[in-house]
Amino acid sequence: MTLASTTLTHDDHIEAIEAYHGLGWTDGLPVIPPTPEAVEAMLVAGGVDGSEVLGTVPTRQVTVTAEKAGVNAVMAGCLPEHFPVVLAAVRALLQPLANPHSTTATLAGSSHAVIVNGPARDRLGIFGGQACLGPGFRANASIGRALRLVIRNVLRTVPGGLDRATFSSPLRYSFCFAENEQFSDWTPLHVQLGYQRDDSVVTVQSVMRLLPFIEFATEPEGIVESLSDIARTNGMGRDEFVGDARSVVVLIGQEHQLRMLDSGWTKEAVQAALWEQMTQPTRGKIDKQLVLAHPANVLVVAAGGPGLAESCVITPHLSAPTHERVVFP
Amino acid sequence: MPLITLDPTDEGTSTGFALAPRPASLHGQTLGIVANGLGLSELFFDALAEQLTKWDGIAATEKVVKPSVAVPPWPAQWEQITGSATVAITGFGGCGSCSTRSMRDALDLEVAGIPAVCIVHTALVPAVRALARLAGVPDYPIVEVGYPLNPTAMWTHDEANELAGQVLDGVRARLTA
Repeated sequence: MTLASTTLTHDDHIEAIEAYHGLGWTDGLPVIPPTPEAVEAMLVAGGVDGSEVLGTVPTRQVTVTAEKAGVNAVMAGCLPEHFPVVLAAVRALLQPLANPHSTTATLAGSSHAVIVNGPARDRLGIFGGQACLGPGFRANASIGRALRLVIRNVLRTVPGGLDRATFSSPLRYSFCFAENEQFSDWTPLHVQLGYQRDDSVVTVQSVMRLLPFIEFATEPEGIVESLSDIARTNGMGRDEFVGDARSVVVLIGQEHQLRMLDSGWTKEAVQAALWEQMTQPTRGKIDKQLVLAHPANVLVVAAGGPGLAESCVITPHLSAPTHERVVFP
Repeated sequence: MPLITLDPTDEGTSTGFALAPRPASLHGQTLGIVANGLGLSELFFDALAEQLTKWDGIAATEKVVKPSVAVPPWPAQWEQITGSATVAITGFGGCGSCSTRSMRDALDLEVAGIPAVCIVHTALVPAVRALARLAGVPDYPIVEVGYPLNPTAMWTHDEANELAGQVLDGVRARLTA
């Protein structure tokens, strides 16, 4: 296999790790030195040639190849079997509606959530249960980090240069999780989107705000009202570019999901109720209508663990969620 | 045994391009405005066009407001500008992604043969310089707006109008030979 990247020579792994820090090619944490052999293993596992173009960012004159995604995936700590998911995530990020220039350069410091559905979750150990948004799960951490390193190294989103975030966000280290599909018979997100149940699908959504909230109401209506209130309090940017694709993601925690299931609520019923509440006209300065074209623009994802009656709303920067099927060769 | 590793960056290089030839004066030119709609910047651009018409004899103005702050113009908007403008201004470069996208708009206009200038807030100059380096034109001239004006164009109407007068000389200098 012929690789196009420039090579560097080091005495050992420790020197290589320090060299990558020195060159500004890390997120501040040590990386795995990307040897040609390790990158080739990624490309083989992804079933792609290194020269394959995954997408472009025309504003920056940047083209992202499979090889560069592979180099960054090795650095992030991915195993080769993770790479098909990384490829799908990069392709999703580079779709025009994901607005990759805007969402990676904004003053607001938005990050990106990578949500995985389908058999890849079990196959690779991408976790959607208790504490799934946090550290401790290798596939979640390394796949999410690979996307961020691509954003940093290939898209050139570097603080002081094209990254203009005022504060930035710890979500920019890594943010990948799975839908907890096995918890109930709720229709998985990817099936709602028209994919087959045995497809594996990645959804990438920019994250303007990750808004967790606790609500002890026992009826679904009370939970939906609180979810809607927190989203409306924060509001959501709108523009002509995203148009009717504008969407919000809602992560329903297990305790809330149990209450909804007890009341016979399907996921579609949750979407319809949230859409009804979220799109009501603005009622005041800190209560803003969300402009969402259809209940399907409320992407409901089951995730998290038991205990606290907690769910999360993810509002986007100026972009729409984008989806890519994971291709295992 | 030495350890060989690979460069993770895009390694893209641009050799740059020649800027569009400048007219001797703005008299009789058609001014294109590629606005991103940030804050009160549209008011500022309108005031600037008015002043350029009054003092420099601009013959006509063609303005488009892009569908989002940090995206290219719609294809029809691009046709509208490139089909009529002979000089152009872009901006307002006051947020992280919109400043760099406005810089790209200016560079794209130059490639299309239309002399352009991007108007950028001081806070975002490092970002547009980074983009200009990627494009191979690191010294591409800009017009800079400084503090105390708010970077994201959260200005009063008076500030927007006064700013038009303040940048007039800089815009003229960068659009003419």
